[in-house]
Amino acid sequence: MTLRSGSLASLIIALTAFAMPGFAHAQAKPKQVTVYIDSVMAADTNEGTDPRLAPMSAKLRGLFGFSTYSLIGHNEGQTDCGKMVAFILPGGKILHVQPRAIDGDMIAMEIVLFDGTRPMMTTDLKLKNNGTLIVGGPRYEQGMMIISIGASTGESHPMQATPAEANTR
Amino acid sequence: MAECGEISMMLGAFEDSELEPNEMQEVAFHLARCESCTGILGDYSTLGRNLRSIAPEPKLAGFSSAVVARVERLPQPVLTRIERWLWRQAHSVGSGIAWSGAVAAVAVATIILMTPYAEQFANRGPHSTTSIAETGHEAATAANQVAQATASEPTMADNDSHADISRLESENHSVAVWSEPRRGTTVIWLPDQP
Repeated sequence: MTLRSGSLASLIIALTAFAMPGFAHAQAKPKQVTVYIDSVMAADTNEGTDPRLAPMSAKLRGLFGFSTYSLIGHNEGQTDCGKMVAFILPGGKILHVQPRAIDGDMIAMEIVLFDGTRPMMTTDLKLKNNGTLIVGGPRYEQGMMIISIGASTGESHPMQATPAEANTR
Repeated sequence: MAECGEISMMLGAFEDSELEPNEMQEVAFHLARCESCTGILGDYSTLGRNLRSIAPEPKLAGFSSAVVARVERLPQPVLTRIERWLWRQAHSVGSGIAWSGAVAAVAVATIILMTPYAEQFANRGPHSTTSIAETGHEAATAANQVAQATASEPTMADNDSHADISRLESENHSVAVWSEPRRGTTVIWLPDQP
């Protein structure tokens, strides 16, 4: 069985047409994810909520029963899917976040929290775009530490603390 | 600060958590400042994950029963076979007696425990009706409160929990996870261990 030259050309054109989108997709820049970390000290010292935590104060007060919430650190990092980004947090904690994939409105990622040298927690999860995961519990100064981890595929994140005024103790 | 050359030698072991604590700390701190090593670690992680995903798992369904059956088929001395047969007979007789005893004990316990309720059920009167009515009223009140609470909450959908955790590993045995759909947050709580 032989193919005529016209049929062969048509076949090549059709295959090229099908292959081009895939090739273009493979060449596309990996999707970027911005990770926002707010480190908060929560305590029962009746000092109220730090004004820099205004965007998330209602959430914190709704989730936990502390009388004091103070922002002790704010970090942001942008990374490509598949690449890990590391943050040094107050209290000797280190946080590694590796976005793995973007599936619709969800961002799949791996999060590892270290307490100095010791891995405290490793988790795989899918976080909604602009959603937050809160990791809390470790003791910090006169209270406890609450780490709010947010991820976004866009430019802004609605629940982050005021970065310009945030500092690290 | 350690050089990238030294750190890169330890990245594989770091990914597998096989380093000594001081080495873990050294690598973790280096990674927090070095994009190059962070990228290499990401590659290790991706490679390991991909290898794990393609590694075939042998099918072990029926393996143990096949081994036991094969052992059973091995030739045994006559005395051993007689001994086994006697053991099986004794076991079946013994287990039959044990089962009968267990069933009888459960039946007796059921009768003892259910008798007061059976009497109460038989003597059910106007008081029971009142308590049911009160319970219904309480349930309606509770439902009303829930409805009011729901109405006062933010408008986020109830199933919108924002995070779907597929794996969580921690040496902390007191770790707790809960979802707050109305606040769009999932919480992982790791209390310090004493």
